[in-house]
Amino acid sequence: MPSPDRPAAASSPALAQRPGTDPRHLAIALHHAQQIQAQKDTQTLILDRILELIELPSSPTADPATPAAADVAALKSALRPFQPADYDNLILERNIEGRCGYALCPREHRKEDPRVRFRIVWGAKGSGAGGRGREMDIVPREKLEMWCSSECAERAMYIRVQLAEEPVWERRADDRRGRQILLLEEGRAASNDHHRQRQPSASVKDVLGQLDNLNLATGSASDSADLALERGDVHPALHGGRVEVQIREKQVAAGSTRAPELRPEDRMGGAIEGYVPRDTQDQDQDMLDLL
Amino acid sequence: MDSDYAGGSGEADREIIRLWRTWRTVFEMLQDRGYEVTEDEVQISLSEFRAKFQEPTSGLPRRDQMKISARPTEAMQAKYTALPSKSNPNPQPDCGTIYVEFCADSSGVGTKQVRTFNHTVDENNFHSGIFITQTPISPSAVRLLSGIPGRICEHFQEQDLLVNITRHELVPKHVLLSPEEKARLLERYRLKESQLPRIQVSDPVARYLGLRRGQVVKIIRKSETAGRYASYRWVI
Ligand SMILES: [Zn+2]
Repeated sequence: MPSPDRPAAASSPALAQRPGTDPRHLAIALHHAQQIQAQKDTQTLILDRILELIELPSSPTADPATPAAADVAALKSALRPFQPADYDNLILERNIEGRCGYALCPREHRKEDPRVRFRIVWGAKGSGAGGRGREMDIVPREKLEMWCSSECAERAMYIRVQLAEEPVWERRADDRRGRQILLLEEGRAASNDHHRQRQPSASVKDVLGQLDNLNLATGSASDSADLALERGDVHPALHGGRVEVQIREKQVAAGSTRAPELRPEDRMGGAIEGYVPRDTQDQDQDMLDLL
Repeated sequence: MDSDYAGGSGEADREIIRLWRTWRTVFEMLQDRGYEVTEDEVQISLSEFRAKFQEPTSGLPRRDQMKISARPTEAMQAKYTALPSKSNPNPQPDCGTIYVEFCADSSGVGTKQVRTFNHTVDENNFHSGIFITQTPISPSAVRLLSGIPGRICEHFQEQDLLVNITRHELVPKHVLLSPEEKARLLERYRLKESQLPRIQVSDPVARYLGLRRGQVVKIIRKSETAGRYASYRWVI
């Protein structure tokens, strides 16, 4: 079997041919370099996304409770590589521009009296202990000023908890977190559907209407590039790990092979890593008891 | 120091004085890095500074007027020119005109302001830029600032430059080596650069001098027993 080129050597022949270069060290160095590059690429991507999301929603009169489908799609796809800290940076940037921290809300964020450090916030009727009265919360001013309203605070936080904690380059390909983000409104609708008995009488038109929302492979080149980045496809070194594995067939000595057969010393089960169990008989008995 | 200005109201006046100190440190910093600045610019008096940058009626500073651009001296260009190599037999200096801007916003500086700053740097084809703000800037803004391809942009907070740390008696003198000096040093001691002790680019003196990764800086200390002695550090 011809031994395949080591990937590291293949990608930089000049380095590999230098005398005294240990290919394994070179491979490890390249692995780290590629990982650093992956991190840089991701950071650049996320910064671009933050700059895009500052501009949402597309209409200044948009209603955050019923956002435009295009804006929702843009938000969901942009958030894929985000970690919670990146999301916090987005909120901060929106606030700096005077906007509500929730990306689908066009309103200005609240401005509280700068001399007040905390404010008491009352919940809805019946939100208190035992379903009576109102829930009370003491909130620092900076937290309140992130949003236009407590509804938007809830919407934004509902998304935040769905983001993946790990950076993109450490996520597994089958990690779904951050990939199927639900808006608060969608989450509520889904759980209502779940509780309610499903109405069997959906008209053909309804179904067709829903099918319109099923956009398979609307993916542009950028979508697949994102996916590649998420999976780490652009960085083959990230897949292989640091130790190169070469599979070699065992050389089988000429001669016939025989099926194993019972030898006298095998009757008691033999040794386990050199240790011969003494009470095999008792153990057998125990097993029978269990059965 | 002329502190006998009559028109200053308490708070605004304190701000002007602080800003004047910062402004002077910026010129000292440009001079120490090797840019062409005049002694008059470095030594600007408080009254001159007031005449230029203080709003006469309110006494407040006009940061939007506080912009500087400076060209590298020949000595600086030499320090920033790589040694000729086979692939690059005629290397050009990797430095050029620097642009400094004070941000007028008193809080909440983010990508919005940095985008404007980056645009100015790019549009005027400045080689490097220094963006100075009153408050910390957002993490995304820091990233955006360092992200213009082929240009070097730095950020300082006004208070970082209120005093010139390199003028403190306990801070030894740091001198950047040219590529040639660096090569000779490594040759003389038969060293690889990675065998030198290190200094981070985020180190306050490294930031002051605008050091870049891979450069070597000479640190000259005064010692009671040995007079002056030098050590070297590799910037990482
Ligand atoms: Zn809102």
